[in-house]
Amino acid sequence: VKGHRDLTIAAVAAVLCALVAALVPVEIIRVLAALPLTLYLPGFALVAATFDGEELAALKRLTIEVAASLIVLVLGAFVLNIFPFGLTTASWAVLLALFVVIGCFWAARRRGREERPQRPLFAAVPRPSPGSAVLVGVAILIGAAAIALAQKPLPAKHAEGYTALWMLPADSSEERVVVGVQSNEQDPAAYRLRISSNRGSQSRTYRVKLDPGEERTFEAEVPEPSAGRAHVVASLYREGRPGHLFRRVTRWLPRQQSFP
Amino acid sequence: MVSARQGKSKKAKPATARRAPKAAAAPGRDALSLPLVALLAAVGLLVVSVANALSRATLTETSLIYWAGLLLITLPIFFKLSSKEPSYRQRLVLVLLLGAALYGVKVVHDGIYFTFTDEFVHAYNAESIAQHHHLYYFNSIIPTTAHYPGLEGATSALMMLTGMSSYGAGTILVGAARLTFMAALFFLFARLSGSARGAALGVAIYTGSSNFLYWGAQFSYESLSLPLMVVVLMAFVEREAGSPERRTPWTALIVLGILGITITHHLTSYGLALVFVALAILYRVMKIERPNPWPLALLAAGAAIGWLLIAARQTVSYLFPVLSDALKAIWDTASGESAPRTLFHQSADVAEEVGATPLPARALALLAVLILFAALLVGIRQVWRRHREEPLVLLFCAAAVVFFGALALRFAPAAWETGNRAGEFLFLGLAFVAIYGAAELLRPGPRLQRRRLLFTAALGVVLFGGVISGWPWDVQTTRPLQVSADGNEIDSESLALAKFAGKRLDGGRFAAPEAEARPLLNPGGQIAFAGQGPDIEDIVNTGQLEPWQLPLLEENQLPYVVTDRRLASGDSIRGFYFTVPGRYNHALRERGVVHKFARLPVARVWDSGRVVLYDLKDRP
Repeated sequence: VKGHRDLTIAAVAAVLCALVAALVPVEIIRVLAALPLTLYLPGFALVAATFDGEELAALKRLTIEVAASLIVLVLGAFVLNIFPFGLTTASWAVLLALFVVIGCFWAARRRGREERPQRPLFAAVPRPSPGSAVLVGVAILIGAAAIALAQKPLPAKHAEGYTALWMLPADSSEERVVVGVQSNEQDPAAYRLRISSNRGSQSRTYRVKLDPGEERTFEAEVPEPSAGRAHVVASLYREGRPGHLFRRVTRWLPRQQSFP
Repeated sequence: MVSARQGKSKKAKPATARRAPKAAAAPGRDALSLPLVALLAAVGLLVVSVANALSRATLTETSLIYWAGLLLITLPIFFKLSSKEPSYRQRLVLVLLLGAALYGVKVVHDGIYFTFTDEFVHAYNAESIAQHHHLYYFNSIIPTTAHYPGLEGATSALMMLTGMSSYGAGTILVGAARLTFMAALFFLFARLSGSARGAALGVAIYTGSSNFLYWGAQFSYESLSLPLMVVVLMAFVEREAGSPERRTPWTALIVLGILGITITHHLTSYGLALVFVALAILYRVMKIERPNPWPLALLAAGAAIGWLLIAARQTVSYLFPVLSDALKAIWDTASGESAPRTLFHQSADVAEEVGATPLPARALALLAVLILFAALLVGIRQVWRRHREEPLVLLFCAAAVVFFGALALRFAPAAWETGNRAGEFLFLGLAFVAIYGAAELLRPGPRLQRRRLLFTAALGVVLFGGVISGWPWDVQTTRPLQVSADGNEIDSESLALAKFAGKRLDGGRFAAPEAEARPLLNPGGQIAFAGQGPDIEDIVNTGQLEPWQLPLLEENQLPYVVTDRRLASGDSIRGFYFTVPGRYNHALRERGVVHKFARLPVARVWDSGRVVLYDLKDRP
C-alpha cells in the first residue's frame, strides 16, 4: 500500500484497533478502537478494493462503506462459525484486521503506483460559524443528556414494592440450605424469618431489617432424616404482623431429580 | 449481449441512467438554519426523555409532553425539507438528523435493558454466541431466530471487541443500520426521482410508516435486514445508472448484500427475491435495454430457498401457520363468519384491559391514511407520466397500491399483524409515489409559504398517525422496570426473578408466562418457554392442574415453573413492569394459578407474593 496514504492509514489503523480492542482491558478505550474496526474500516477496504477509480460522492461512499461493514460483520460471523474456535475476541480481531489489510493491498494493486488525489469527506461543507458550532455543540450535549436521563432509575412512589423470599441448597451435597430475603419495597422494612425442617427441633428464627434493594442470606444445616427426605420450610413474617404468613418457600432434600 | 438487447429494445433511454440527482439551488439564508434545526431536534429528544422519565416515575399518566417532544423533533426538519434552499448535502444531513433523533426516541424509551418483545429473544441469541462462540444456539421462545443469526453474529463482534453487553452493542449496531437506511433511501429516491428535494421528502414521508419509530428500531433481525435491503436496491439503481464497465463493483455489493440478508431475516430475503424476480420479468416484458437482472433474481431466490431448506427448516413451521391463519382470518372476516377486528384495540389474547386509544388519536391516525391516499392519487399520475419506463418505479407504484390493500388486513383478527409487518416494505413504494404528491403541493407559485406549512402539518399527521397505529397508545412512554427507592435500586418482579435465576439457577429450564419468560431469556440468560408451542400458556394461566400438564412439562424437560397471578403476565409488552395500583398490572387471576403446584406438593423456590417459582423435581 506504499504510496497510497489513505490505504496505508486504513491498514495500520485496522491492525492497531484490533490490537487495542483485543488486548486493552479498559472498556471505553476498547469501544473507541472497536467502533471503527467493526463499523467503518471493513467497508472502507471493500469499497476501496472494488470501487477503485469510481468517482463516488463522499457521503454516498461513506454510506456504502458503513453498509458494507455491516455486511462484512454478518458474513464474517458465518465464516468464523465454520472454524472450531468460532467467534471469539481474537478471531474477530484477526479476521477484521486481515480483511482490511488484504482489501487495502488489493486496492493498491489495482490503483498501481499513481497516488490518487484524496477528497476530504466534508470538503463542500463550509466551515461553521462560531454561532453554528455552539448550537451544534449544545445540541449534542442535550442529546447526550436525554439518553443519560433515560438510563437513570428514578423514584416511583406509586410503583408497588414487594419482598421476595427464596431458598436453595447451599452446595451440591445438599446438607445445608441458603435462604435469601430480598426487599424490593419502597421503604425500609423489618421481618421475622423462620427456617424449620421436618424435625421441629431444627427451627430457627431470625430478625431481618432491610433497606430497599437490599438482600440478606442465611444458611441453615439440614440434618439427614432417618427415613425419606428432609422437608425444609422458610417462612417470612412482617415484623408488625407476626401471625400473618407473608412469604413461604419449601424444599425437600436431597432433590428428587424426577418429575412427579 | 448488451448491444443485442439494445438493438431489440423499444426504449432508447433508460430512465435512471441519464438522471443524476439535481443539486438544489445554492444554500441561502433561512431563518431555520441547520444548526438550529439540530438544536430543536435535540431539545425535542430531551422532552421525550423527560416524558418517559415522568412516566417511569409514575408522576403522570398523560403523554402530551411526549407528543410535544416528537413535534419539536420532526416539524422543523419537515419544514426545512420542504424548502428549496437546502443543498443536496444539507438535505442528506437533515434526513440523517431525522433518523438519529427518532432512533433516539426509541433509545430513551428503553433505559438500560431491552424492553421490546423481540429484543429479549435476539439479545439472548447474541449473548449465547458470545458465551458459546458459535451460531445457531437454541432459542426457546422463537427457535427460528437462531437460524437467522446475521444480526446477532454482527453484534457479537461488537460485544467481544468492546466488552459491552448485548444491549450496548445492539443499540449501536441498530443505530448504524438505521442511519445507513436513511442515507441509502435518500440516495435511492434521489437516483430514481432525479431530485434531492424529492428524495429527502420521500425519506421524511417514510418515517410515517407505522413500524418506523418503534418496531423497526428494536434490536431485531428486521432492523438490520431492511436497511440492507434498501442498500441493495440503492446499489441496483446506481448500477443501472452507471456505464456498463462500472457495474461490477455495484454488482459485488448487491451480491454480498443479498447473501447478508439471506442469513439475517427470512421475510426480507423472500421480499428481496420477489423484487428481483419481478424486476427480471418487467425487464423482459418492457424490453429494457440494460442487462436483465435475472442472475440477481436467481441468486436471491436460490439463497433464500437454499438457506430455508438447509439451515432454517423450522421457519416453515414458524411462518406458515401465521400466514395460513391470516388467510383464514381474511376469508372468515370477508365472508362474515367472524366479526371484523376493532381498530386501535389490543388483540384478544392480551389478558388485562388496557387503555384504549383516545378518539382524537384514532381520528389522527385515520386522517394520516387519508393524507397518504390523497398523496398516492396525486402522485401516481405524475409517476406514471414521468417514470413508467422504469421497472423499479413501477414496482414501487404497485407496492403503494397494495399498501392500502394491506391496511384492510387490520380488520381481520389474525391477519392484522401480517398486514402491519408487510406495511414497512410496501411503504417504501408509497413513500416514493407520495414524493410526487408532495411536489404538487410544493410547486412554485403564490402562497408557497402557507403550502409549506400545510405540508409540514400533513407530514406531522402522517408521522403521528404511523406512531399511533404502530405501537399501543398506553405504552408510547415507558413504565417503571427498575426504580430508585431510598437511594437504592429495586427491580420489578419479572426482572428480579430473571436476575435471581441468572445468578442462582444458571442452566435451568423454565416454563413461564410471557412476562417472566422473556426477561428470563435476557438478562437472565436462561432457557425459558412461554406461549403455545408447547402450550405453556394454558399451564401457567389456569387455576387447576389438568392431567396433560405435568407430562407436557416432563416431556419438554422443564422442571422450573413460574406462576404469576397478575393478569398482565400474559402480556409480552407490559407484563414485566412494576405494578402500579389503580393504573396498570394490578388485576389478578384466581389464587389457584400460583398455588396449584404447591398442592402436588413440590418445592417453592422463589416467592414474591404474586410470582412464585416452583421446582417440580424437588418433591417428597
